[in-house]
Amino acid sequence: MTVTAQQRGIARCTTCGKLSRITTTSQAQSWHCTRCAAPLSFRQPRSLQRSWAYTLAAAFLMIPANILPILTVISFGKGDPDTIMSGVVKLWQADLQAIAAIVFIASIAVPVIKLMIIIILILAVQLHLPLSKQQCTVLYRFIHFIGRWSMLDLFMISILVTLVHLGNIATVESGPAATAFAAVVVLTLFAANSFDPRLLWDLDND
Amino acid sequence: MTNASQIPKGLTACPDCDLLLHTSDSDHRQEGHCPRCAATLWHASNPSADIDLAAAVSGLLLFIPAMSLPILKLDMVGQLGSNSLLGGVVRLWLENEHLLAVLILLCSLLAPLMHLLLTTMIGISIRLKRYPRYFPAWLKCKVWMQSWSMLEVYAMGIIVAYVKMMDPGEVSVASGTYCLVGLLLCIILCSQYFHEEQAWQYWEQRS
Repeated sequence: MTVTAQQRGIARCTTCGKLSRITTTSQAQSWHCTRCAAPLSFRQPRSLQRSWAYTLAAAFLMIPANILPILTVISFGKGDPDTIMSGVVKLWQADLQAIAAIVFIASIAVPVIKLMIIIILILAVQLHLPLSKQQCTVLYRFIHFIGRWSMLDLFMISILVTLVHLGNIATVESGPAATAFAAVVVLTLFAANSFDPRLLWDLDND
Repeated sequence: MTNASQIPKGLTACPDCDLLLHTSDSDHRQEGHCPRCAATLWHASNPSADIDLAAAVSGLLLFIPAMSLPILKLDMVGQLGSNSLLGGVVRLWLENEHLLAVLILLCSLLAPLMHLLLTTMIGISIRLKRYPRYFPAWLKCKVWMQSWSMLEVYAMGIIVAYVKMMDPGEVSVASGTYCLVGLLLCIILCSQYFHEEQAWQYWEQRS
């Protein structure tokens, strides 16, 4: 029989990791960690609602981020707008398969996989899906690890717009999809952070 | 506001699955893992390590050249172009991509800078055994900044940009890249060797 800290009335501070004994978390009374003064609770408050909100917002913003042009190369007065996908295709056709694969993974595969995993995790908690808790926790750690790599395309844009700023010969301009894509990346980071993996393990104790 | 009551030493709760565990002091010499979900519960304690402070100070020394020196140089039909990390942020801001500019400023400049600066401040105050009132705020801020510091992704961005521009022009790596690589090494060492739980314990036993 495994015992969780919550069953013993012990809450772990999410900021400094110190354990404290608290009675109940009610609206009238809020508990604070004795070491770092951060608010204490057994589980992240409203974890699932916030994860859903961030996930849905990110999913909707995926549409403009992928349809609108993200980068325009203007060479000798001729503009050539690129979406994320057409940029990948051009790299592939230019025989730069390795770089095309990196950009595809960072800009398309990672955001989509991340959103799918977060939705699976939330549904596993809400619908009590009979999934392996160990595997769900591995997925949770995986999205934390890969989330930041989606920033790759945005950093590349900031490098290219300054590097290729050569007047009439060639300039690179960022497009409207860049902001949408930045919002997707930030929202998926928030969604992953607001999901509390302890909720998965709580299913065993019900 | 109610301060929570203390609980006896030797108890640990897993951050990922909330399993309650009894541990002894000897367990803390090695890295600890949760038996149920395999989360890392604590890192091995090495009290003699000064690497975190040394790496943070070296990182700060490399910071200004890494941010302001040119990273890549481009030669296209006789026209020369170059970019620096700071220049990229300014360029995006001038092109009215304010949101993007602020995000890149945070992830590639502000967060690494604050991470190194706060690690230095925390490291010095632990070694002087003087803990100012702001110590907990520094620690919390350091963790937040560390999570938003994405220079390693930026370094990958440099590689992708380099390969992308190889065909239309002549690209070369400039001095800023070398500083950036050094800075990146410092940041990795600094994150690896900083012992957060120990810093909190010093704060708790300060008086």
